[in-house]
Amino acid sequence: MMLDDLHALKTRMEDEGAIFCFSGPISHQIVIGIGEALKNNMQADRIDTSTSMKIFSIFMEQMQNMMFYSAERLCGPNGEGEFGFGIIVLGRREGEHFVLCGNRIPAAKVERLRGYLSDLVAMSPDQLKQLYRQKRKQGPEADSKGAGLGFIEMARKCSRPLEFDFKPIDADTAFFTIRGFIQ
Amino acid sequence: MEVLEIPAGTGMPAIRLDPVAHSHRFAGESYPENTSEFYAPVLAWVERYLAGLAAEQSAEFNFEIVYFNSSTSKIFMDLFFQLEEAAQSGKAVTVNWIYDRDNEAALEYGEEFAEDLVDLPFHLVEKAS
Repeated sequence: MMLDDLHALKTRMEDEGAIFCFSGPISHQIVIGIGEALKNNMQADRIDTSTSMKIFSIFMEQMQNMMFYSAERLCGPNGEGEFGFGIIVLGRREGEHFVLCGNRIPAAKVERLRGYLSDLVAMSPDQLKQLYRQKRKQGPEADSKGAGLGFIEMARKCSRPLEFDFKPIDADTAFFTIRGFIQ
Repeated sequence: MEVLEIPAGTGMPAIRLDPVAHSHRFAGESYPENTSEFYAPVLAWVERYLAGLAAEQSAEFNFEIVYFNSSTSKIFMDLFFQLEEAAQSGKAVTVNWIYDRDNEAALEYGEEFAEDLVDLPFHLVEKAS
């Protein structure tokens, strides 16, 4: 990347309404750091509590998803923990806040995730609520590191259906992008 | 049993479980790095405490949580089910879910827990401002 490319990238991001961007390995420290910066930023912008909680919630769920499940991973310098690579853009456009995230996932998981998210975006708020309650009472699925509630939580916090996309990278991996809007 | 006290940290609530006062408190935010690891000693403590709790002794669990992530939500549900089981066996266990008037989500979360708890007294309490 040439020196003047960075300015072009920044300008492009600002044109798209981006306020904040991070791309790289996501550790818990990074989640906490960006989370605190996000809270300060929302407070300074006088965004009301209810809206900021929704933005923060979508941010947190997807950062933790990327930290745990990104197919692109890095070990810490002392072999400790594993970080998942991801990119996150937070911004505001035409009166809506958005949280946009992307990370690599194994190609073998694309169809299952696409099916699951397609079901979620077709659900009414009440159906999402019932699914959330039902899954919370059950145990998580075998390959889940959390409660398996993250995407439902995100869908419930958005003011319109989550948008998502899968772009094949090679035979083994795909790039997964998801975006939530908050009014 | 001894008091279990965990100080608040970023993403970690302050927790104080007191077997003498029988008043227990969870306050702050909850999105620890490893949720099940963080709450394991808490769930184990509560299990032992409930087993030894006398039927005539009332016990109060106060939750004043401003934000929690979805994996914490699952842990809290499990904890409330533990308390509900104690209540079903005749123990005087109650939960106070304390929320800030400005924080609509905190009230909604409390209401949703309450919907899934039939036999556990679960009070939604607006925080005095």
